[in-house]
Amino acid sequence: MSYGWLFDSKRCIECRACEAACKQWNRVDTGWNVRYRPVRVWETGTFPNLRTQALSMACNHCENPLCLKVCPVKAIWRRDDGIVLIDQDRCVGCRFCTKFCPYDAPQFHAGRKKMEKCTMCADRIDQGMQPACAAICPTGALRWGEWNQIAGAGVAQVESFSEPALTRPRIRFVNTPWGTR
Amino acid sequence: MALTRRDLLKLAGAASTSGPLGALAPFFRPAGSGAAAERKLVTCCGICDSVCGMVATVRDGVLTFLEGLEGDFSGGGGLCGKGASGAGQLYDPDRLKYPMKRTNPNKGLEEDPGWVRISWEEALDTIAEKFRAALEQFGQESLLFVTRPAPDIWMRFMNAVGVVNRVDHLDECYLTDRVIQRYTTGGKSWCNDFENAKYILLFGWDLLAKTKLVYANGIVQAKDNGAKVVCFNPQYSATARFADEWYPIRPGSDLAVALAMINVIVSENLFNREFVDQYTNFRQYESQIREHFKRYTPEWAAAESDVPADAIQRIAREFATRGPAIAPAHKKSLCANYANATQLVHAISILNLLAGTIDRPGGRYFARTIPIPTIDQIVPPPAYPAKRGRRVDGKDRLPLVLEDGGGLFSTLADGLLNKYPGMIQAAFFNNYTILGFPHPERMAKALATIPFLVVMDFLPTDTALLADIVLPSSIYLESNDLVPREYSAKRPQVVVRQAVVPAMFETRSIGWVALELGKRLAPDYFKNPDGTWISLSAVLDEKVRRAGLANSFAEFREIGMVTREQPFVPRTTFNVPGGKCQIYVPQFAERGGEPLPVWRPKREQPSPEYPYYYLTFIPAVHRRNTTQNNRILNEMFPTNAANMHPLLATRIGVKEGQKVRIRSRVGAIELPAHLTETLRPDCVLVAHGFGHRSRYLNTAGGKGARDSDLIPDQTIEEMVAAGNFAGAASIMDAVVNVQAV
Repeated sequence: MSYGWLFDSKRCIECRACEAACKQWNRVDTGWNVRYRPVRVWETGTFPNLRTQALSMACNHCENPLCLKVCPVKAIWRRDDGIVLIDQDRCVGCRFCTKFCPYDAPQFHAGRKKMEKCTMCADRIDQGMQPACAAICPTGALRWGEWNQIAGAGVAQVESFSEPALTRPRIRFVNTPWGTR
Repeated sequence: MALTRRDLLKLAGAASTSGPLGALAPFFRPAGSGAAAERKLVTCCGICDSVCGMVATVRDGVLTFLEGLEGDFSGGGGLCGKGASGAGQLYDPDRLKYPMKRTNPNKGLEEDPGWVRISWEEALDTIAEKFRAALEQFGQESLLFVTRPAPDIWMRFMNAVGVVNRVDHLDECYLTDRVIQRYTTGGKSWCNDFENAKYILLFGWDLLAKTKLVYANGIVQAKDNGAKVVCFNPQYSATARFADEWYPIRPGSDLAVALAMINVIVSENLFNREFVDQYTNFRQYESQIREHFKRYTPEWAAAESDVPADAIQRIAREFATRGPAIAPAHKKSLCANYANATQLVHAISILNLLAGTIDRPGGRYFARTIPIPTIDQIVPPPAYPAKRGRRVDGKDRLPLVLEDGGGLFSTLADGLLNKYPGMIQAAFFNNYTILGFPHPERMAKALATIPFLVVMDFLPTDTALLADIVLPSSIYLESNDLVPREYSAKRPQVVVRQAVVPAMFETRSIGWVALELGKRLAPDYFKNPDGTWISLSAVLDEKVRRAGLANSFAEFREIGMVTREQPFVPRTTFNVPGGKCQIYVPQFAERGGEPLPVWRPKREQPSPEYPYYYLTFIPAVHRRNTTQNNRILNEMFPTNAANMHPLLATRIGVKEGQKVRIRSRVGAIELPAHLTETLRPDCVLVAHGFGHRSRYLNTAGGKGARDSDLIPDQTIEEMVAAGNFAGAASIMDAVVNVQAV
């Protein structure tokens, strides 16, 4: 069994609860710009015919994680359930992983000289809870669940999201219009 | 596939996965588990007025996590980024920790106050002594309290002392709305039945971008239920993204569009006849109403607003016929704060009345609440002294505003410096900063003229730098209270607010200060019938009992939240003169206003010297000017920028990130340019809340620029002359020049 994210951009109000909850739960240091789950807003089109799209993006716990492959000290590993983690004892902070990650998921902590990233709140999952980000999302824009249920939902890619064929990220995007739940 | 939140919880529950925690990376501390003393406490957020219910996890006396409260009406079980970052407020290392007094007699933002620590005893005794001296020598009008009207014991203190000059930020917020609603629909206007609305018309309304979850969740529900949303806003905001149609309206012209829509609906007789005939005064004033709006044609409005005439006509028809329809008002959201906001809010109120959805499904509800008695009901006070004296903000010149409890931020500086110099001898600022005033530089000068200034806050703000005495305030996570919900007509709810940790350092609540100052200045008002001092906790226990929530506050803490579902019974009489909603308001005409909204252009129009409109916004992750020093939130949105369209950037020759100087008739700021397609090319947009200068704010201090430096404050005469009879601060009403630096 493995897990993944389901993101519905049209429901996102850009409130950043996902990032804030993540920071709280995982005790992410503030002041180092270490951000496991930033929300970015993309503009497309030109005034007045434009659109914006919000993307809450963390580690997508890829099926084919390039970060894991390129890590020279084998600090990155994958649990049986597909969660990709960085062993902090092994990590030497060389930043190879983040260079190869299409989603900028691994974050360099300049104080600790280590890479950190989203753990999918593996500890919460082990206790039967959802990751903090998905649990707190007020509008249901960010959801989480079993990958075999999510894999068939929505689409694999949206604008501004890197080509998924490369790493097979465990995220899908809802692309149905309002009112067609 | 339809995965609901509940399904996912179930899934997660079933998934007893591999990987013992010991195998995880060592930095990864399992916050939610372990044998340490862990408690989960229900409380509610205090960052914005959505006051969402929360569950706080406290381990070994430390707040470790905040999450949403299932079943809570406001948050809907979630929280926003601000709410989730509450620990960043609580554990801000820069917090004011104990009372202090200044030793440097020179006051100014650049002066070091030379603070020294004092005891609460000394602080309270000094304040009482100075306030008493001012009262005895100069009378009630010599005291100024800049504070919200809460909690009730604080109001009791001000009433007991006979404070004439209580001023709050309402003119920047929903004062116009409150004044207009009192005579049009007779109720508060912040409870909307979005869930059942089919057509939602937004004039600058942008509460999604401010992540007020009670509204955000409502709009999301409305969209799920197939509602159409139309949005007028010069900026493609986070709310505009939820709109089916967005019109980048010319700043300040929302009123023209609203007037033309009324014209279409009235002249084509598209209004909800049943509601309008039965529950409004339309028929009584029909000829005046028809005659009045005839002049506001869609073609005329199009020329004023840049919204096409056919769109205005079509949207008006849809609004009237494809309902239930609602045009929410309430709150400083762009259009509500031009100088013509009074007329606009009246026009919006008329649109809702024509749609017939006041206190009807899919429209604006009057909230049903679980009544909680006030301290004055529990321990009735002796008669309060009559209030005599002049209003420093001049609001006695606006009779309709005078009836209202709120005050005027926008005229306070003029009152202190020009109208009544020397009148105010002592002032108490409670959790407000000068950043929240138009033209804060002038406000700082005005405050420096007050001989004795007390500032109570949780942070060493710029305003605190000007204080003679600084009092450290506890925050919502350290407070006990009952929070009634005024957001629902079907599910009245009370959520507990409880101290999830004891108040840090020597911080105290404003309620405690009220009691302690009360004992010193007006002891008769702070005694029980048996002569003992009033106890805050005993009063709270009594509130819990009388509201029927539990037998004591301690018991209600465990319960957390009470919901009393009730069938919705639409109101048939309205709390306005005559009992019927008023489209034509004769009382406005009698009290300095107009009975029907007339077109007035906004205060400031582009000129060769100031060719661009200046707009401000509050970013999603910040609450006004109170969260920029929160280290979690600051990391997400650390500073502000001059947002402008690429066409404007090209015209003035700047590229992304290059510094520009924005200048208005009252001030200038410098910020890096940020280029965006989401804004009209004739506007410059700056985020509010930045430009804190206090050197004691280690995270926010010195970052960004004060947006409000460019916004003129106003005189009461200007307001009267502009027909601004419901009291808009006009904080969105400025024009600027922009140049590369």
